[in-house]
Amino acid sequence: MTDAVRDIIEVRGLCNRFGDFVVHENLDLQVRQGEIIGVVGGSGSGKSVLMRSILGLNRPQGGSIEVIGRNALSPDPRNRHYIEQNTGVLFQNGALFSSLNVLENVLVPLKEHSTLPMQLMTELAMVKIQLAGLEPEAAFKFPAELSGGMRKRAGIARALAMDAPLLFLDEPTAGLDPISAATFDQLILTIQKALNLTVFLITHDLDTLYTICDRVAVIADRKVLVNAPIDHVAAFDHPWIQEYFHGPRGRAAQFAQEKL
Amino acid sequence: MPSWLETIEPNLVIDPTHGDRLLATGDWTFQHADVLIPLLDKSRGGIGNVDARSINRLDATGSQLLLGFLRRHGVDENELSAKPEHQALLAAVIGSSQTPPEKAAQPPLHIRMLGGIGLWVDKGYENTLIFLSFLGQTLISFLINIVQPKHWRITSTVFHMQAVGLNAVPLVMLLSFMVGAVIAFLGATVLGEFGAELWVVELVGVAFMREFGVMLTAILLAGRTASAFTAQIGSMKSGEELDALKTMGLDPIELLVLPRLKALLVTLPLLAFLATMAGLLGGMAVCSWTLGISPEMFMSRLNSELAPRHIWIGLSKAPVFAAVIGLIGCLEGFKCKSNAQSVGEHTTSSVVQSISLVILLDALAAMFFMELDL
Repeated sequence: MTDAVRDIIEVRGLCNRFGDFVVHENLDLQVRQGEIIGVVGGSGSGKSVLMRSILGLNRPQGGSIEVIGRNALSPDPRNRHYIEQNTGVLFQNGALFSSLNVLENVLVPLKEHSTLPMQLMTELAMVKIQLAGLEPEAAFKFPAELSGGMRKRAGIARALAMDAPLLFLDEPTAGLDPISAATFDQLILTIQKALNLTVFLITHDLDTLYTICDRVAVIADRKVLVNAPIDHVAAFDHPWIQEYFHGPRGRAAQFAQEKL
Repeated sequence: MPSWLETIEPNLVIDPTHGDRLLATGDWTFQHADVLIPLLDKSRGGIGNVDARSINRLDATGSQLLLGFLRRHGVDENELSAKPEHQALLAAVIGSSQTPPEKAAQPPLHIRMLGGIGLWVDKGYENTLIFLSFLGQTLISFLINIVQPKHWRITSTVFHMQAVGLNAVPLVMLLSFMVGAVIAFLGATVLGEFGAELWVVELVGVAFMREFGVMLTAILLAGRTASAFTAQIGSMKSGEELDALKTMGLDPIELLVLPRLKALLVTLPLLAFLATMAGLLGGMAVCSWTLGISPEMFMSRLNSELAPRHIWIGLSKAPVFAAVIGLIGCLEGFKCKSNAQSVGEHTTSSVVQSISLVILLDALAAMFFMELDL
């Protein structure tokens, strides 16, 4: 196996049910180390449930999940702990702690999981805040004082705090204006390149898919229908995929990409 | 185990061929920070350049440590050679290492204390004004509401009557029973010394009918209901639900405050009556077990010695307490900001305010009725 195709996330035969409602049935997904994978699907198709299952926030009824070579479903807390230390998550609305300012928010994981001197932790947190594209002055602002875009940047800074090699982003560009969304896409790409991250990205944003994703996984009919580079996915014969990529918005995004 | 899961201990050694060059090797990552810090600390000065091309894995923490080390020893960043794939990261970290701006120095302690007192007084004054204006607004809404049966919100009112009143019955009665028993015990101990055990009946009767029945209920509801109102309205506010109501042309006072207030106005007097009865029952139980005063004797003495005005005086305070609890609970909810901390603070504040006001008003009422010789 060459370096490019080693799997950092491996989901096999995943089953998720809520009562009678089947979300996933025999879902398989592989994420390679160092890639940006975009996960798309209709509302309610189970994108977030998949992410929550990988993160251990939701216990699936069946299947196996391996993250960074560890079994994510094993009862051994050391496995869970290892995965938690090696993943960073940006929730949809940032999920910043509202009673702490940005710097303190970024310091939370550092303080809890390391014994570094305070001054160094502050330096590291400031690097992450600026890597995420925030001004140093924003460090002392509280989440309530930030705009939606800044809150997401602060959320990314916190997700990066521990230098985790695996980053989960839940709809990073949702709720941003198109210009901010495009800047944010570039930010993700820059950070991913600089820190050599693997990014698991849930999105509805076709522009994001076209500009930064190496591969796109489509969830429909309770499983991952296809997981491939976007041109390959767009040509896949399935009504939802055709509607998604070749509807008015899909064509516009594709056209914009070709013009670049 | 795949090769990419293995880690290599980081190291920093002097290049055997160049005395002023340091060789960095291994993994310079967050996981190895506790090894890297002492390693960098014990390195001597007089370094010309650093060769980081043998670093296996590098992350932002490692880069920051390495760059900080260079800065401390006055080595220019250009004297650092790194693998091509690490260049981008190093450049990004160099571009992101501004230190946080200094916060303005704080004034000395005594000035801050003085400032704190000033702010406290100012805030107290402001809060009083806000409370009075809220009282006025609610009163006007209430009066308008009375003549508009269509806007009575009966379902909502009945729902709150159940939550506030019916569901609190067991708690209120149990605690009143206990307090009634305690007062009877106290009376038995103190009055027993004068051979006046029979007066325990009057003690329990007057205490519960005039004061404790209604005050205990009000204190319990202040803890149980005012906090619930604040938290409900506060979390609605943080979810922008109040703004949604306003944009739909609905009045939050009519929709949220009036049903809660009405529910309290109806149920608090009823609960206070039940609490009085439970307290008397507690006193009666203690009397019959320890003092040999039979329930029949207790009842007949209660009938002959106590005038009915006592219970009316007690219950007359119930609507006032109900209004205080309801208004403060709702008002604190409206004052919440959209974060968890603020909802917590205002919930605490609403309980503290309503309990203090209930006790204060009760004391004032006691003096008032005493002056009237009632």
